[in-house]
Amino acid sequence: MKVRPHEVDGPAVDPDIDENGVDRAQIRGMLQLTPEERLLRVEEFIDSMIAIRKLNEERPVR
Amino acid sequence: MEFIVVGMTAGVLRGAPVTTVDVDIVHRRIPENVARLLGVLAELDAVYRHDPRRLRPNASHLLGPGHQLLTTTYGDLDCLGAIDQGKSYEDLLPQASEMSLGEGLSVRVLALSALIEMKERSARPKDLAVIPVLRATLDELSRKR
Repeated sequence: MKVRPHEVDGPAVDPDIDENGVDRAQIRGMLQLTPEERLLRVEEFIDSMIAIRKLNEERPVR
Repeated sequence: MEFIVVGMTAGVLRGAPVTTVDVDIVHRRIPENVARLLGVLAELDAVYRHDPRRLRPNASHLLGPGHQLLTTTYGDLDCLGAIDQGKSYEDLLPQASEMSLGEGLSVRVLALSALIEMKERSARPKDLAVIPVLRATLDELSRKR
């Protein structure tokens, strides 16, 4: 069974923001993943966004 | 099948913490490769995504340098004949390397440095916006080595 990225994340890491506003800790986290896990992480994120959008779709007023 | 993953999916594969909703590839524009690509596109039920007639790409489309913006059962896929002022698959090959996606699958992916240079040349706001993240990723990669 494939390991999902959130299962290999480990403990949360504090942000490490550089002079351009880029979170270096986030990059280092990505670089610890395999290319396949990186893709799966993006897929999970997009799926989450789609789910949130659906939850917030306008519903007919009763 | 011969192609190079470019665009932000290449950035993700190279380790940049960015998101994208489509996959961009530059394919080799020779008849044998285009025939293989068409076979895959048929399996993916690929159609032009901005055309309500659900037109399918054909060999003449894919042999040209234009951009075929498709949607498939797995999401959006852009098959690009050439990018960055006319660069073809053969032109980009020296700037790409194979990356393993597990289970015996590997794909050619554009190098992060080449992706950054293209985004800089493009100078579109959406490309410029992502350059700091791509540059920082390249910097972190060089520190790891």
